[in-house]
Amino acid sequence: MTATGLTKNLKKRKEVDGEVQEPGPFAETVGLEMLSDEEDEDGGSGSGDREVDEFPEIDTRSDSEDEYEGSEDGSDEEDDEESSEASSDADSGLHIFPESKTILSNITGQLKHVYPEIEPDYDSDSSTEDAPNRVGNVPMHWYDDLPHIGYDMNGKQILRPARGDELDKFLSTVEDPTSWTAAFDKTLQMDKPLTPEELDIIRRLQANEVPDPSYNPYEPTTEWFTGKGKEEVMPLTSAPEPKRRWVPSKWEKQKVMKIVRAIRQGRIVPFKPSSSKPQFYSIWAEPPSSHPPPLPAPKPRLPTHSESYNPPEEYLPTDAERAEWEANDPEDREKDYLPKKYSALRLVPAYDRFIKERFNRQLDLYLAPRVQRTKLNIDPNSLIPKLPSPNSLRPFPSYRSLRFSHDKGRVRCLSISPDGAWTISGDEDGVVSLWEVNVGREVKRWKFDYKIGALEWCPRLDISFFVVGVEDKLLFLIPPHLPSAVFTLTKSVLAPATLPPAPATPSPIKWNTPPSSTSADSPILTIDLPSSSGVPRQITWHRRGDYLASVSSSEGQGGVWIHQISKRHSQAPFKKIRGSVQLVLFHPLKPHFFVATQRYVRLYNLAEQKLVKTLMPGIKWISCMDVHPSGDHLIVGGYDRKLCWFDLELSDKPYKILRYHTRALRSLQFHPTYPLFASSSDDGAIQIFHSRVYNDLMTDPLIVPLKILRGHEVKEGLGVLQVKWCYGQPWLVSAGADGNVAVWCS
Amino acid sequence: MGRLRTKGKAGAAKAYVTRSSAVKRLQCSLADFRRLCILKGIFPREPRNKKKANKGSTAPTSFYYAKDIAYLAHEPVLKKLREHKAFAKKLSRALGRGEWSSAKSLEDNKPSYRLDHIIKERYPTFIDAVRDIDDALCMIFLFASLPSNSRIPPSLIENCARLAAEWQLYIMHSRSLRKTFLSIKGIYYQAEVMDQSVTWLVPYQFTQNIPSDVDVRVMLTFLELYQTLLGFVFFKLYTDAGLVYPPPLDTQKDEGGAGVGAFSLQDANHNATLVVAAKEVKVDGKKVSSKDVRQTIKHIVASAPPSSEGDMMMVDTHTNAAETDEEFVAQPSTSDPNAPTILPTLQSLNALPQTISADLFAPYTFFLSRESSRPIFEFIVRSFGGRIGWPPSSGSGSPFDETDDSITHVIIDRPLVGKPNETAEERDRRFRRKYVQPQWVVDCLNAGKILLGEPYGQGKTLPPHLSPFGEYEGAYDPTVGLTHGDITITEAGDGDEEDVSSSADDDTEDDAALKAAAAVAAEDPAALRAAELAAEAAGIDYGTFEKEVTKSLTKAKKADANGQPDREDDMNKMMMSNKKRKLYERMKHGEKKREAQRANLELKKLTITKERKRVLKSTS
Repeated sequence: MTATGLTKNLKKRKEVDGEVQEPGPFAETVGLEMLSDEEDEDGGSGSGDREVDEFPEIDTRSDSEDEYEGSEDGSDEEDDEESSEASSDADSGLHIFPESKTILSNITGQLKHVYPEIEPDYDSDSSTEDAPNRVGNVPMHWYDDLPHIGYDMNGKQILRPARGDELDKFLSTVEDPTSWTAAFDKTLQMDKPLTPEELDIIRRLQANEVPDPSYNPYEPTTEWFTGKGKEEVMPLTSAPEPKRRWVPSKWEKQKVMKIVRAIRQGRIVPFKPSSSKPQFYSIWAEPPSSHPPPLPAPKPRLPTHSESYNPPEEYLPTDAERAEWEANDPEDREKDYLPKKYSALRLVPAYDRFIKERFNRQLDLYLAPRVQRTKLNIDPNSLIPKLPSPNSLRPFPSYRSLRFSHDKGRVRCLSISPDGAWTISGDEDGVVSLWEVNVGREVKRWKFDYKIGALEWCPRLDISFFVVGVEDKLLFLIPPHLPSAVFTLTKSVLAPATLPPAPATPSPIKWNTPPSSTSADSPILTIDLPSSSGVPRQITWHRRGDYLASVSSSEGQGGVWIHQISKRHSQAPFKKIRGSVQLVLFHPLKPHFFVATQRYVRLYNLAEQKLVKTLMPGIKWISCMDVHPSGDHLIVGGYDRKLCWFDLELSDKPYKILRYHTRALRSLQFHPTYPLFASSSDDGAIQIFHSRVYNDLMTDPLIVPLKILRGHEVKEGLGVLQVKWCYGQPWLVSAGADGNVAVWCS
Repeated sequence: MGRLRTKGKAGAAKAYVTRSSAVKRLQCSLADFRRLCILKGIFPREPRNKKKANKGSTAPTSFYYAKDIAYLAHEPVLKKLREHKAFAKKLSRALGRGEWSSAKSLEDNKPSYRLDHIIKERYPTFIDAVRDIDDALCMIFLFASLPSNSRIPPSLIENCARLAAEWQLYIMHSRSLRKTFLSIKGIYYQAEVMDQSVTWLVPYQFTQNIPSDVDVRVMLTFLELYQTLLGFVFFKLYTDAGLVYPPPLDTQKDEGGAGVGAFSLQDANHNATLVVAAKEVKVDGKKVSSKDVRQTIKHIVASAPPSSEGDMMMVDTHTNAAETDEEFVAQPSTSDPNAPTILPTLQSLNALPQTISADLFAPYTFFLSRESSRPIFEFIVRSFGGRIGWPPSSGSGSPFDETDDSITHVIIDRPLVGKPNETAEERDRRFRRKYVQPQWVVDCLNAGKILLGEPYGQGKTLPPHLSPFGEYEGAYDPTVGLTHGDITITEAGDGDEEDVSSSADDDTEDDAALKAAAAVAAEDPAALRAAELAAEAAGIDYGTFEKEVTKSLTKAKKADANGQPDREDDMNKMMMSNKKRKLYERMKHGEKKREAQRANLELKKLTITKERKRVLKSTS
């Protein structure tokens, strides 16, 4: 028993004591016997709760008593004795009811039960009476392995009584007619015969009767307040009796009269036969209502040849088809039946899913949402747009005429001279090669320590030089074998004898002209970009050839610089810019400047220094862009394979979005004179488009895919990194990650 | 600035209600709501944007039009259902209290609803109703064959059987059956009533058991509606045909298992002039269209034989058949010369919309043998004007017995067994009659003419039974030879002839090698020379090799011709909008799937024919 249980018991015990002790002095004063006096005294005190008192209502108390006694028996002898009258009642209630006698009380003059007196000796207490084993309420299996089963009052071992084997048990059941009335006593480990009283209780419990044989549940009621002389004289309330108690209801009368009148007038016929409308009649005789009829339900599918009981043999499923049909869930099956062939009609069995299919049809009818669909009955090929044939749109590059290889490193960038005769290509190994477009012969090679980020030839025709972007630097180089006039002019532009005056605002960018003693190979002019600005990702020239813009790969401030050759001055066009700048472009005609951040393209007016518009291509990451020579159209490509064509007059959303490359787009360029543009991608393909732009604003630009040029290999996930058109020729030069530069001719 | 718009006050949020809110709005139980929906033909709708219709929630729910639910709220049936609920409460209370008399009076005044207005509402014109009775007929025929149990009272089944018989009687009377198909699921019938084709499915005559996953309440609700609908439709059909509805039932015959024969059609004119007069008035009051329809029906019924006489070819065979009716031995000889000329026309007839003469079987008298199903063939034969008899074991009411001399055909479905002790009379009778399997009857009526009985003889392996309803356009047609397979068939044939001695594997290998060589050789002359040599070494004669080469050459040319525009198309596909591209892809996918199905069937057919040839060769 737990501690809390113990304390609870003690508390209860105290209550019991209190209750028991209360009548104590009373009994002394009255001097009557303990058992009988309770009733008498109650009867004397008041007749109100007499009935209640007649029942021995000590159930809970007796329980606690029992527990208490079981736990610490014999510790409080006096208490036991004092509460003996209560506990004896409880015990008798629990075990055997002593016979009660019904006698006429001499005090009240009524009948009452009198129970035999219990002698308050040791025998009266059932718990101490016959329990020779004093181990208490412990699990008896603790003694399973021991020769004894417990201890008696004197602390001596009680030896285990001999128990016969199964045969003995059986024999005893056969021989002893009373053996079935014995029950196994756990503490004594032996069978004990039940007393006749106990057997009687069991019988009564089985028969759903009250266990006490003397208890009468149907005792005659005692009339307390009814009958002559017992009624209450005084009323309970002093309110006067309402009128409705003794006047017949007016409203009831009205209601009844209504019915009576109806019956009289024949409006209600009591036992009228049911309505005489015929079950079926000509319902469509009267004209239909103007409501449109509801849509008829779709008709079920008509059966096909394969549903025949005797189909052509080719409709029968093969073993594989049958296995697949059976493996599928019913809702995944294409057909809800398996074709089967019967040689005669008499062999055809009932279709086992007939009712289920009918039911499914009904579910379709009332549970399935219906949608009215117009069935497209068109040739799928008519959906493909009709475009002019590529053959009619020649010339465009269609084959590779020559290939120029860089030994190592992928070719990142290339540029073609404005006269269209020379190409420079730079690779990641730091090599810049100058070669002829027509024959592919290398004329000169420069070697730098860093990888080449960008290359761009100056668009001016009267001078000839190009800019190479390497780590933190822009290098201006003059190609060899120039005509002397051009050479001197170039030299005077890049390294004038008299330097222009230094600008008012100091710039972090330094323009260095190396001393003239250095070799012809070395750059004639160097622009030192701010340190740690990284490799210039892009260099782009203004069409006049005086300004050039560079985008460095470093973060912060965009790394965008605009350099002016004539004034030898660099400036950052933006103080602050949102997003990292990917690309910049000069507008070919207006003083506008395109800046592509990761997701948007912004168009600035450099003259007025304000934002003109923001284009939203919807590309996740812009990789390349180019503006049409007319300046009205812009194409933007992204790493997410999309190409967007913007009509700058129209909207800031793309006019057309194309997705045809299987990998990221790398480079895009409009041809300066022909209506062509090319795109290259990491899938190793170059795609040539015809792009005709009309002058009138009504006609949409015409975009026709012309040719897919394949020939570059994909290396480490990179394909064709840059494409450039030759000026004046429909030729394309492409630089690939496989170290090759290819010229594609028409 | 316009007025502020509150969310959920207009548009989809207002036009749609979810099912639970509909139930709440109607203040009825879900079961009652279902019942109403079935009776009124209200079904859920799919809103274009579920989120907008469901106040921003995307939980899976079904939506109804709010207007539909608003109409339901005024439905008299709903009122009756509520009354019935109250009635059930009152009745259970009365029964619980043991007030038997009040319970009885309550039971007498039990609220019951009628569905007339719903029928009129759902089918404003008679044509609408006829168009929609397919499902109703299927259900009626199904329930007519079900065993009764605690949920399906016998009276219901009896009523269904009665309706089914009435429909069959009408079809037989009006000769409007058009097509029949014996399928594994049951028998499909198609009739043309009021210019609407009505198709219904009848299960084979076996006891059906309702599976546990079928909600019988739903089926019974549908059945309730269908019974009413069919009652009204039949009333109209019968009265328009000048017949009394309902046709009187001869209970004695019915108990004898006479089936359809237990009902007798009575002409309304003969019966009671009063009724006719009343009907005349009605007809006059009606629209002209229905009157016309009635007249045309009468006209068709009356003048069926002369109208069909106007037909071409088919009538010839008919008259032939009619002439040769008596001496049956002569018939094969007359039909033999016809056979080759008929065969091509059969296909053309199949392709054309069939003009079925309504009395195809009029010249014949059939006798059903015991194992073929009487209800099916009695219905089919009688709706095409034939006479039919059956043994007493198939039910009473046969117009003649087996010994009748007028019997021309016996529909028999059992294997051929020699009869050792048959009398001369029996043998004589056997020779005079034609013994055909049941499929012959169905194939005849689907073909619209009397077919040769030869392949359908007793104990013969039947020709395949094809669906008269056809399949989708461009599907595999089992009646026609292979379309693409022409070459391949000849090819295979060649191969077979070439090396009968060599095994099948060798044959195919050689073929493949040859083809590959030819394909390569088509391009350049050097390879051609090499391939020629190889072919010679392989023992293939020059003729076949040359054929192969030319074939592959033409194929390559074709591919070239196709290839250029194909590539252009591929490029042009880039310029398609996303929506169009998806549509295109879906269409192409469906096309490819259909093509694959067709190819699969053709391949199977090819292998089957090859196998058959091989077996034939090996046996001969």
